[in-house]
Parts: sequence; C-alpha cells; structure tokens
Amino acid sequence: MKELNWYYPKTFADAGKLVRQETVLPHGGGTGLLLRNLSNTDGLIELSHLPLKTINITNGSVEIGSVCTYAEVVSELKKVDPNHILVKCLHHSANTPLRNRITIGGSIAMFPPWSDLMGALIALDAKVVLIGKNDGEFPIIEYINDKTLRKESMITAVKFKNADWRSDHYREIRTKSDMPTFNHTVLLRIDETKIVASRIIVVGTTSKFTCVYAVENYLNGRKIDDIRSAKIESLVSLKFTGSRFDDPDYSNIKAGIELGRMIQKMVRS
Amino acid sequence: MDGVFTVNGKKCEFAFKTDERLLFTLRNHGFTEVKNGCLEGECGACLVLLDDKPVNSCQVFTASAVGQDIKTIKGIGNLHKPHIIQEAFVDVGAVQCGFCTPGMVLASYALLQENSNPSKAEIKSALDGNLCRCTGYVKIIEAVQLAAKRIRENGGHHE
Repeated sequence: MKELNWYYPKTFADAGKLVRQETVLPHGGGTGLLLRNLSNTDGLIELSHLPLKTINITNGSVEIGSVCTYAEVVSELKKVDPNHILVKCLHHSANTPLRNRITIGGSIAMFPPWSDLMGALIALDAKVVLIGKNDGEFPIIEYINDKTLRKESMITAVKFKNADWRSDHYREIRTKSDMPTFNHTVLLRIDETKIVASRIIVVGTTSKFTCVYAVENYLNGRKIDDIRSAKIESLVSLKFTGSRFDDPDYSNIKAGIELGRMIQKMVRS
Repeated sequence: MDGVFTVNGKKCEFAFKTDERLLFTLRNHGFTEVKNGCLEGECGACLVLLDDKPVNSCQVFTASAVGQDIKTIKGIGNLHKPHIIQEAFVDVGAVQCGFCTPGMVLASYALLQENSNPSKAEIKSALDGNLCRCTGYVKIIEAVQLAAKRIRENGGHHE
C-alpha cells in the first residue's frame, strides 16, 4: 500500500479546495473507507476539525452535519421526538461501538445496499448539502442517481422537513448484528379514519432502493378499516439480487408479507 | 507519520503507517490489552474509549484519532487496584477465556458512567457490540448489574 497523505483542514474553504483534487477523499471518522481499496487514493481529508458535528432542529426543519455519528443523531433527535423515523432506523443499526463511528455523510456517499439510513432520508425528501466542485443543495434522489455530483465534492450536511408522519422501520435480518437483506421505511399521514398520504421505500433491491408506488396509491385516501394486508402483499413486486443466503423470490414474498404487517400495525396503533 | 495521543491519561507520541488502524498502533506500542479479534467491528475485543465513547479500534484510522483521548482497560483499573466493574466480573465468575473481557468491561464502564441503574435491556443494548464465545452472557450481565449496585451504594463513584 502506498503512503496516504492526511490533510486536516480548519475551514470549509480549505476543505473545498482539497476535495477538488481527484485522488483525495473526505474522511469523517466513519468505517466505510476502511473497507475500500485505497490504492488509487493519494490522500484523505480528515473532517473532524470542521464544524460538521452539529444537529440543528428549528421550526420543523432538521439539519444534520455530515460528521455526526448514528449514535449522536439518535441521541439528539430522541430528545425532541422519540418516535422520529431516524431514531427507529438508526437505533438498531450495526452495534453500539459502530454507531459511535458510522457517520451520516459517509453513509449517504457510500449508500451500501444494507443501509438503514437511506430509506428514511429518501422518504423524508431530504436534501444533501455539498461543497467543492458541485457547491449547493441537491435532492437526495438526484444525489444518488447522478454520480457526477460526488466527483470532487463532499457532503457537509443533510436537511429535511420534520413533517408530522406516523412512521416505522423494518429490517430483514436473521440475527441482530446482521446487515439486513432489505429494509422497509414507511411514513403515513392519517386523519381520523383514512390515510391522507404515504411514503414507502424498500432498500436492498437490485436498484438499491425502490419507492413502492403501487402500495402508496392503494393506501392514499383509503379508509383504515378497508386496508387489507393480502392486497398490500399482492401489490409488492420487488427485484432482489439474491445471495447464497437469500433467494430473490423468497425475499420478494417476505418483503410483501412484512410490509402488509407493518402497515396494519401502524394504522391500528 | 507521527502523532500525539493521550492514552490512559498520559501523553504518548506514536509513529504509525498512514493507513494503520488504531488497534495495531496501540498493540505495537505495548498496549496489548487491546485484543485483535475479528477486524470487522463485530466482536468488540479491540474496544477502547475514544474521547469517552466506546469504539472498535480496528475500525479507526490512527491518523484520524490524533490528539484524542484514548482509554484502554488498563486505564480504569489494574491488578493492584481493580475497578468496581473488574471486581464484579471476578466475583460473579463472568470471565472464562478472558479474551472478550477488556472490551466487555470497557463497554460496561461507558454504560455505567451515563447510567448507574441500567435495566437488563439497557445492559444488553450497551453490550451489543461485544461477543463472548464462552459464557453465554448470563454471568456478564449479572456482573454489570452487581457493579451498578456497588456504584450506586458508593454514591455513584466508580472508585
């Protein structure tokens, strides 16, 4: 392995200049780069000296600095909303020492197929804040789909509106420390008797994530008493890559069953 | 490259490779109480407290921890002056091969610093990153409960 240069910028301007070098990557303290082949990387930018470890919750908006760890996000959001979808998603992710290292920025940039974070951010219509070549704010789906946005740029924060959703998260795992085969994020807005709006995201499909519009269309405007799990299951048609542990057809059936159960539980709670 | 760290309250200057993990830097400089287990962040044998938070040292680039405060198991107690948690592990019989014990004790220490009266569920959650292949966890959880009781009886003091 060749020698890496480590840079410790103290201002965003310096970090922005450094990240424009093609073979330099930002490192927020997380674990993702340890898994990566760094043979084509000349240097790493250590971000811990920048003010990126901040979580601002104001007027229904949340802004999370990219270097915040999962544990810090859970701890801060729990104080204002213990049922926040990110609390539910991140509290069970990985394990305690890893949650003290895995960062929000790194998780967005790398988006592994077992991500517990990304479903929630997609469902919340989050925006990613970048500096470097692509300075500005971008919808998270645009950031995921447009690979050029990653080039010579780095994430400084993620923002979203903290709307009043009823939410839940499901991880398909065999043991608690497993990386999930897939996971569901469901947001529902319910008035007294019917569903007004819904967001359903499955992470772990062949396209990394899938918005399950068929189920959203079935739910929106429907009376709670008329919702049928079997119907939800029949509307789920997801493609999974499969592995030596998971058959893609089985995963699709299981995803439908679990989604039906989740929604029934949410509307009846 | 070189960097200055505070390990168990003492300033230390270490030389390390630019892609080295904190686990190896610590072990190469004599802190062999930090155990090399899975190298994937799953087992917790290499757990240390970095700025008071439990982390897997195998999942930390040494260069990213320069200037930070590191605590290993020897930083909380030793054979002559064991910590309450270490005593509780011995008294309950929570140690068999002992390989996971430094990580278990440090994870318990981090928990009991914040919460001296944890429920069983909270103990299990705090130790969810520490694997033990010998004890089956029953005695370990009992040891944390005993340590918590002793800390409470000691007015919240760990000494």
